[in-house]
Amino acid sequence: MLAYIIRRLLYALPILIGVNLITFALFFVVNSPDDMARMQLGVKRVTPEAIEKWKAERGYDRPLLWNAQAPGVAAATETIFFQKSVKMFAFDFGRADDGRDIAREIATRMAPSLAVALPVFALGLFAAVTFALLLVYFRASYLDFWGVVFCVAMMSVSGLFYIIGGQWLVSKVWHLVPISGYAGGADAAKFLVLPVIISVIGGIGSSTRWYRTLFLEEITKDYVRTARAKGLSERAVLFGHVLRNALIPILTGVVVLIPLLFMGSLLIESFFGIPGLGSYTIDAINAQDFAVVRAMVFIGSLLYIVGLLLTDISYTLVDPRVRLQ
Amino acid sequence: MSLLSVRDLSVSIAAGKPVDGVSFDIAPGATFALLGESGCGKSMTALALMRLLPETARIAGGSVRFGDTELTQVPERAMRGLRGGGMAMIFQEPGTSLNPVMTVGRQIEEAIELHGGKGKAVELLDAVGIPDAARRVREYPFQLSGGMKQRAMIAMALAGDPQLLIADEPTTALDVTIQAQVLDVLRDLQRERGMAMLLISHDLGVVARMADHVGVMYAGQLVEVAPREGFFSAPAHPYSRALFAALPDAARRGGELASIPGSVPPLATRFSGCRFAERCAEVLPACREAPPAWRDLGEGQRVRCIRVEAEKSAPATRRAEEGALAAAEPLLTVADLAVHFPIRRGILQRTVGHVRAVDGVSLDLPAGRTLALVGESGCGKTTAGKALLHLIPPTAGSVRFAGRAIADLAARDMQMVFQDPYGSLNPRLRIGEIIAEGMRALAVPGDHGARIGELLVQVGLAAEMAGRWPHEFSGGQRQRIAIARALAVNPKLLVLDEPTSALDVSVQAQILNLLRELQARLGLAYLFITHNIAVVDYIAHEVAVMYLGRIVERGQVQEVLRAPRHPYTQALLSAVPRVDAQGQERLVLQGDMPSPANPPTGCHFHPRCPRATAECAASYPQETRLSATHGVRCVLAGAA
Amino acid sequence: MKIVPLWSDALLILLLALVVAGAWWSRKQAHLKDAWRKVGASGTAMAAATVLAAFVVVGVLDSLHYRPALPAKGDGPVQYSNEVLSVLDALLLPLKSRSEKTYSAPLATHLFAKESLDGEGRDFPRLKHGGVHLGQDLAAQDGDIAMRVLTGLGLGVALWLPLWFWVRKRKIGAGDTAMGSVLGTAFVMLLVAGPVALLSAGYHVLGTDKVGQDVLYLTLKSIRTGLLIGTLTTLIMLPAAVLLGILAGYVGGWVDDLIQYLYTVLNSIPGVLLIAAAVLMMQVIIDTHPEWFATSAERADARLLALCLILGVTSWTGLARLLRGETLKLREMDYVQAARAFGVGRLAIMLRHILPNLMHIVLIALVMDFSGLVLAEAVLSYVGIGVDPNTISFGTMINAARMELAREPMVWWSLAAAFAFMFALVLAANLFADAVRDAFDPRAVK
Repeated sequence: MLAYIIRRLLYALPILIGVNLITFALFFVVNSPDDMARMQLGVKRVTPEAIEKWKAERGYDRPLLWNAQAPGVAAATETIFFQKSVKMFAFDFGRADDGRDIAREIATRMAPSLAVALPVFALGLFAAVTFALLLVYFRASYLDFWGVVFCVAMMSVSGLFYIIGGQWLVSKVWHLVPISGYAGGADAAKFLVLPVIISVIGGIGSSTRWYRTLFLEEITKDYVRTARAKGLSERAVLFGHVLRNALIPILTGVVVLIPLLFMGSLLIESFFGIPGLGSYTIDAINAQDFAVVRAMVFIGSLLYIVGLLLTDISYTLVDPRVRLQ
Repeated sequence: MSLLSVRDLSVSIAAGKPVDGVSFDIAPGATFALLGESGCGKSMTALALMRLLPETARIAGGSVRFGDTELTQVPERAMRGLRGGGMAMIFQEPGTSLNPVMTVGRQIEEAIELHGGKGKAVELLDAVGIPDAARRVREYPFQLSGGMKQRAMIAMALAGDPQLLIADEPTTALDVTIQAQVLDVLRDLQRERGMAMLLISHDLGVVARMADHVGVMYAGQLVEVAPREGFFSAPAHPYSRALFAALPDAARRGGELASIPGSVPPLATRFSGCRFAERCAEVLPACREAPPAWRDLGEGQRVRCIRVEAEKSAPATRRAEEGALAAAEPLLTVADLAVHFPIRRGILQRTVGHVRAVDGVSLDLPAGRTLALVGESGCGKTTAGKALLHLIPPTAGSVRFAGRAIADLAARDMQMVFQDPYGSLNPRLRIGEIIAEGMRALAVPGDHGARIGELLVQVGLAAEMAGRWPHEFSGGQRQRIAIARALAVNPKLLVLDEPTSALDVSVQAQILNLLRELQARLGLAYLFITHNIAVVDYIAHEVAVMYLGRIVERGQVQEVLRAPRHPYTQALLSAVPRVDAQGQERLVLQGDMPSPANPPTGCHFHPRCPRATAECAASYPQETRLSATHGVRCVLAGAA
Repeated sequence: MKIVPLWSDALLILLLALVVAGAWWSRKQAHLKDAWRKVGASGTAMAAATVLAAFVVVGVLDSLHYRPALPAKGDGPVQYSNEVLSVLDALLLPLKSRSEKTYSAPLATHLFAKESLDGEGRDFPRLKHGGVHLGQDLAAQDGDIAMRVLTGLGLGVALWLPLWFWVRKRKIGAGDTAMGSVLGTAFVMLLVAGPVALLSAGYHVLGTDKVGQDVLYLTLKSIRTGLLIGTLTTLIMLPAAVLLGILAGYVGGWVDDLIQYLYTVLNSIPGVLLIAAAVLMMQVIIDTHPEWFATSAERADARLLALCLILGVTSWTGLARLLRGETLKLREMDYVQAARAFGVGRLAIMLRHILPNLMHIVLIALVMDFSGLVLAEAVLSYVGIGVDPNTISFGTMINAARMELAREPMVWWSLAAAFAFMFALVLAANLFADAVRDAFDPRAVK
């Protein structure tokens, strides 16, 4: 088991390096720092001095890969590649355009993101599994049919509308909770209720339908017939046998998402003014703050890889057939 | 007073009635066997009795009385009490019929709790002969072998102390030596507990060993019901007789097997007369007019046929003489063929061992002859066949064809026919394109279009069928197409990998006849890979028996099958349930075949061998030559 | 006039040609014909297909672009306008040209906000176009609207009847549920379209937006963007996904390792961030090379295509992985072994035996991805990494309308219009996709 985890972590390294190379290529090779400076400063009538100043402020005034002027090791380290890409492995992301340290900013913003994402994840999973079980229990009935139609209809509405509609109805018409904002501690609850509920509703259509399909697939298997032949009731078959087996693909499908919960949700956070990583990202995108976007790409990939590892481990916990080698 | 009494039971699904008016009785403690080919409705009947029909099917009529209860009328809640309690069921696929994420013990306990049964899971596992039951109860199904899983299924069925056990093809998925073990367990338990059994099987041999009464099903109806002795000494219905005549065995060597033309009618068929009339060799005009009534032939034998007096005996078969043994130069010579698959482990995925799927196999096959490679699943026989054709790269050994060493360019001379008729034809190509593929790839000269038509006719199909798609054909027809595809490049040798084991016995007879005829006409050599001893006895000239990657005994068919010298061969032969051998002395093997990744030291067979000595564990025995053709790798062979 | 073939137009036409060719080819393939027949027999699928067909017609009309000739000045060479128009623009010219000053509610005759009128204090000014035919007789508005609705309904029925008769006369499956649902859907759509058409001749049926553009026009123009993103993305990524998926599965070894590495890397970057990074960089390229694009329409088109490409690059991994897994299974199939026994080459096996047996997966992916991509466009445009802000799309519409939600009373009509059209499009796509999957996937659970 330990050897397996070590091996997986070793496998993760080349992937992170790959991610790093892709971002490096995207940000510094496809476009030169000069291009970026020109765009940010306004394409027309920008003086070379202004470009140099912009680059110097951000540390983009070094050579890309090899600094022939620098002595010794510095030839490799005093480069954009080392300063901007390699240093990420030490969680040194540099500074954002507003001068703040990106690593610290990320650390403080994880908590609000998690405060939204975690309840959404748990409630959403619970609700979807419950509804899917309900539909499967009443399979091939009108309840099932209209349930599926309802799920498809729910899936067909853009997430934006759930947010806009929810804010309008709950905050503007009913005045139940503030329309947006965030506070630490116990006060957070009143700001969190609406975004959490809206996210759960927004995602429930597709996941319910997906889980229903998994349950139905499971229910056609031979062991279910065996369980019925034992004399088990339909409910006992569903909860005692089908649920456990169907939870394997469900759990392992969602475990990969758990680390990514730290990243927060772009839409929800920006609509509700929650100072998490999602809104941080979206602000950086809108402000074209390349350093922050790069940092988020790195963090996101890292968390995804952790998620993959957790998925494999979770397999061993829920499925006796899987032994990690 | 019968325990179970079924009257006019019918089951309907959208397409038609898979069960249509079935009636039979089972007395307490007795075994009734439902016999029939696939699609005749026997499994559907069993599921209907348990009221476990798939959601698309429903009981359309009739009555099922179990003791005093009318099963078609009781509410679902009461039915649940009967399921597993009064009547229990075991299924064909032990591999998929157990819940994979629940321990075996828990699954058995669940049944015990439900029906307030006595005893514990361990005791039940013990009762069905699972060694080390205390450990096994805590294990998951994937940790058990196929035979053990089926025993666990039986243990689960016994948990509610049922009066009736419904066994739906309980041993079809198992190897023949394991089948023998499981059948013995069933038999003993039945005797101990006075339990009645409804056995569903397509295998006449299994039925002969187990049943007290036999019911033959065809197209959703019973066509003959008889006590075992009556049925096996004189099957009455033409369909029953045809089933017997289609069985391959030594007595029919060289002769034509009787096969039933055509195939089972589709579900939607509307019948006006006898359902078998279209395929019956003895059909009369009256057969097509009205459904035949039941006729009593005495001694409990009843048949649904208007003309049974005519011939109430098993059809005699011609016995042809074997041609003289042609001591020809071998066409194919295989020496020390080995296929090892590496096992990788650890951080760096180092190879820590090998699965020795094929471990030093040597064979000779003269032109125009048939060599049967026999063994149970996992013995490496299919891998060996594929390695010959370089479909799997061999690890070691040499293959010489007609004196030439071959790498992988023997494509034209050696071809293969596969087991699964549904997987062996690309569903996206027309029949003509499928057959033309090899000719095109190997640039066979001549008019391909004309040749395709010729080949189709040669395998018993029509030339016009070239334009059709695979899904329009039945399993037997597909196997004919696969043979035509192989023949298209004029090979001298065909590797036949279980070509008939996915087929019903009547269709199997058609294919065996075809193969025999093609051999006679084209002088083909066959490497016939199979687990079916009866087929070997019928078609092969020479036999090689494989166990765990090695050939343990080989020789002429008479030598190996009549006078087997290796204990494994002897066990294998005696495990085959025979129609005619009542009370034959049997040698039942204990345990399962070990893993080829970790074979036992010395003779691979010694842990299961009833005659093993200390010497056997020391080293793998060398081949002992008993005759020019007969060789055995067993230390006892030389001594005896 | 000068025809301007935009790249996206060409690709869309190519896609349509492929669909037509595919349909013609599949008529001769028994299994495909059977599967399509199953789709055709499903009432919901055919109703959804009818709705989709209407959307496609609008989208295609909006994909035939040209630059109108300017009025000739003397004998000089003909000058063309800088504005690129589509056939749809030409058809909807009244809607396009009759723009107001700013917001107005659906069917209104006055602007939404009070303005100081010269000398008369603050009031709601009259619209320049909406309800202008009423003159000063504003009391007649209700009657006029009712009249137009009734005539429109009549028109809808009148257009539908010939269709109905044609179907009945030709006996094209008349009476079966699928044809019935096509007719029913067409009936409902015509009943809606008739009144809307007549009303829009005199009013802004769905109101106007901040700069006074007719919202109905904007919504109809958004359809093309949605369709393009939904289809071109998959079309662009298909070759890569199919090629790499099959190669990884069939060839195995280091090729497999490399391809798996590639898609694990791409997969590990959270989608939105990868898209954001790529779009930001693409923006830099487009902005620093203004000379590449003759018109702003071409520039917007380049950005749209680039977005499809980026979405494609980020989304091929799922399909490739699916195809790799399936190829691994197929290559062990006996018919592939049989072909190998004949010495058939790898490429030929992949083309003859693997690819045709994977096509149903590709088709299912194509239809299943469509709705997700249409929804994704809205979100990405909202985030600011979607289509060019000048491209009319559901995303840009929602984004613009969102700013005004805080207004009292609310400007709701842009949102409502975008919601309704998007919902219809995505729901129809989802239902159709479900039917296609059920018909083509051998393992589909019903």
